[in-house]
Amino acid sequence: MLITWWYLYLAARSFVEQSLKMASILQKLITPLFSGPPEPPRNKVTVVGVGQVGMACAVSILLRELADELALVDVMEDKLKGEMMDLQHGSLFLKTPKIVADKDYSVTANSRIVVVTAGVRQQEGESRLNLVQRNVNIFKHIVPQIVRYSPDCIIIVVSNPVDVLTYVTWKLSGLPKHRVIGSGTNLDSARFRFLMADKLGIHPSSFNGWILGEHGDTSVPVWSGTNVAGVNLQLLNPNIGTDCDDENWKETHKMVVDSAYEVIKLKGYTNWAIGLSVADLTESLIKNMNRIHPVSAMVKGMYGISDEVYLSLPCVLNSRGVASVVNMTLTDDEVAQLQASANTLWDIQKDLQDV
Amino acid sequence: MQLCITASLLFPLSLFPFCIPSAPLYLLFIHSDSFFLPHLLYCLPFTVCFCVLYALFPCYYFPQMSTKDKLISHVMKEEPVGSRSKVTVVGVGMVGMASAVSVLLKDLCDELALVDVMEDKLKGEAMDLQHGSLFLKTHKIVADKDYSVTANSKVVVVTAGARQQEGESRLNLVQRNVNIFKFIIPNIVKYSPNCILLVVSNPVDILTYVAWKLSGFPRHRVIGSGTNLDSARFRHIMGEKLHLHPSSCHGWIIGEHGDSSVPVWSGVNVAGVSLQGLNPQMGAEGDSENWKAVHKQVVDGAYEVIKLKGYTSWAIGMSVADLVESIMKNLHKVHPVSTLVQGMHGVKDEVFLSVPCVLGNSGLTDVIHMTLKPDEEKQLVNSAETLWGVQKELTL
Repeated sequence: MLITWWYLYLAARSFVEQSLKMASILQKLITPLFSGPPEPPRNKVTVVGVGQVGMACAVSILLRELADELALVDVMEDKLKGEMMDLQHGSLFLKTPKIVADKDYSVTANSRIVVVTAGVRQQEGESRLNLVQRNVNIFKHIVPQIVRYSPDCIIIVVSNPVDVLTYVTWKLSGLPKHRVIGSGTNLDSARFRFLMADKLGIHPSSFNGWILGEHGDTSVPVWSGTNVAGVNLQLLNPNIGTDCDDENWKETHKMVVDSAYEVIKLKGYTNWAIGLSVADLTESLIKNMNRIHPVSAMVKGMYGISDEVYLSLPCVLNSRGVASVVNMTLTDDEVAQLQASANTLWDIQKDLQDV
Repeated sequence: MQLCITASLLFPLSLFPFCIPSAPLYLLFIHSDSFFLPHLLYCLPFTVCFCVLYALFPCYYFPQMSTKDKLISHVMKEEPVGSRSKVTVVGVGMVGMASAVSVLLKDLCDELALVDVMEDKLKGEAMDLQHGSLFLKTHKIVADKDYSVTANSKVVVVTAGARQQEGESRLNLVQRNVNIFKFIIPNIVKYSPNCILLVVSNPVDILTYVAWKLSGFPRHRVIGSGTNLDSARFRHIMGEKLHLHPSSCHGWIIGEHGDSSVPVWSGVNVAGVSLQGLNPQMGAEGDSENWKAVHKQVVDGAYEVIKLKGYTSWAIGMSVADLVESIMKNLHKVHPVSTLVQGMHGVKDEVFLSVPCVLGNSGLTDVIHMTLKPDEEKQLVNSAETLWGVQKELTL
């Protein structure tokens, strides 16, 4: 017993010595001019879920230098800590000085943007809508905690099926509808622009084309809007996107819809493209850019949709969230497709429990 | 004249055999004066035939301009210039993809090539990156099992090979990775004879030596990622201790990238102030601040991350992008990377170890000569001997 007290005394003594002497190199080297509590972060981003998509989002955001603090949250503690350490070891090469991670959501406090990638993912051949109820249950745990620690944040939902889950997040969070965004067809439009631009031999950013509606099998390509340098492609080829088109441009949209399935079949999952797309949205939000992106927003009252559903439309994003929605001139056929998607989504949403 | 007519008969006949029946008509009237009617009769089948063909296959006979041609006129007569700053990544595992994404997000190349043996995974990764092209400034991303896609690369990053399992040391991987390199390196050299090789696979110092021998490149074009990552880890931990950003904390770890790396305590400084000057015990056993533990954390760092998430990827990827940036942009920045150190610091053997080197677009052009303490030099010599002991057993 005496020995225990002796050891405790030795430990306490060396601890005190250490902390006193530790102060000495710091004291000798650095003279503080201002002591006070550390400043809270101004551009904090949280990523919920450290799977392949979550880490791709995190790395894209870090390498684009968008945040001054990054928080990671997940339920798998080892993986989470490992990913955090791996990112921290690269901090010499980054401009994000603070990278934190914990199972407990208190690390996410005061975030400006929260990216939710948590949830189960599509298996090979599985449709996004199959994942719904499983992911709703996960969200019931995640969303209230996010809002508790960051009541002023903007939530970007990435988990699939993204339109349904954005609705679920909106309901569970109680946030105003302009602060809950789904990554929606930002990725589909990026894929569309890449594939079309590739056929024309130009860079994707020089080809303008929008895919709206549901992020999934029933997305709507707006052929009337496709243009390069202001030259409308539908005027050059009036059959573009239809079945009687000789050049079969409709095939490109089909490739966009199938591309996720194809990449999943080849490498097991998709992550880089969605990560880059989320970083692009984050940039518009954090830098208050007022740029237009096709993201999933609440569309009740537009295009004759009477249900509370989230579908992708061209939205102006700034630091408040979705500032406004662009009214695209759509053909009757395209409006009908949007309405059909809205009905499908509402059918699924009305059956969800505890939302 | 009649000879011409006869000749002109034969040519179309060969094209349109079904017009033969009307040909004898010519022969009947060939010496008569009324030549017009048989001529008309002869031409009629051709005319009818062509009209039918034009009606049935208009897009073949009247090619419509495609949407692309209506939109874009190609005005350049010469062949397009190929890529000028191409980077290849060999191996699309976690490290390879982290390196690829870091290089892409830093806008370092105008073409990226990926190579691996697993075809599906390779194609999937390439597609995934291509789908993000809208957000990148690298127009061409290619991938194939065949090394011809890597032609004319400026920098080739080699990440292929077996990786450390939990608890396994880097030296265990040697012979497995040498065999893989015997296939990879000659293929790289064949298609990019002027490239700079950046070796990342572990054990990096030995494999950089192997790559140098197999490629036949001069020593300034074979670089090992070496202790660039160890130094980054060290500076991060130092930054946490001093509440500073890692880029303001200077410290160099040299030697073997692994368990016996050498922290050069005398060089550790902030704003030119030597920390060892403030704390002479720094790095020694009796140091109450226990800076030696910082170095131990660096050495153990990789093992710990592997234990937690199965592998390390992000830090090494960013470190590779940092080196590629210095090379591509000809920065002449000093990095601790693995190079041939024979003749330096008392090392006699032909081994590669990390020392501070100047990197530019020709490769590794200069080496900084550090003033090391005798025990630091002794550690380098010991590392060199261990590495040579392994290297001389290899069959190259």
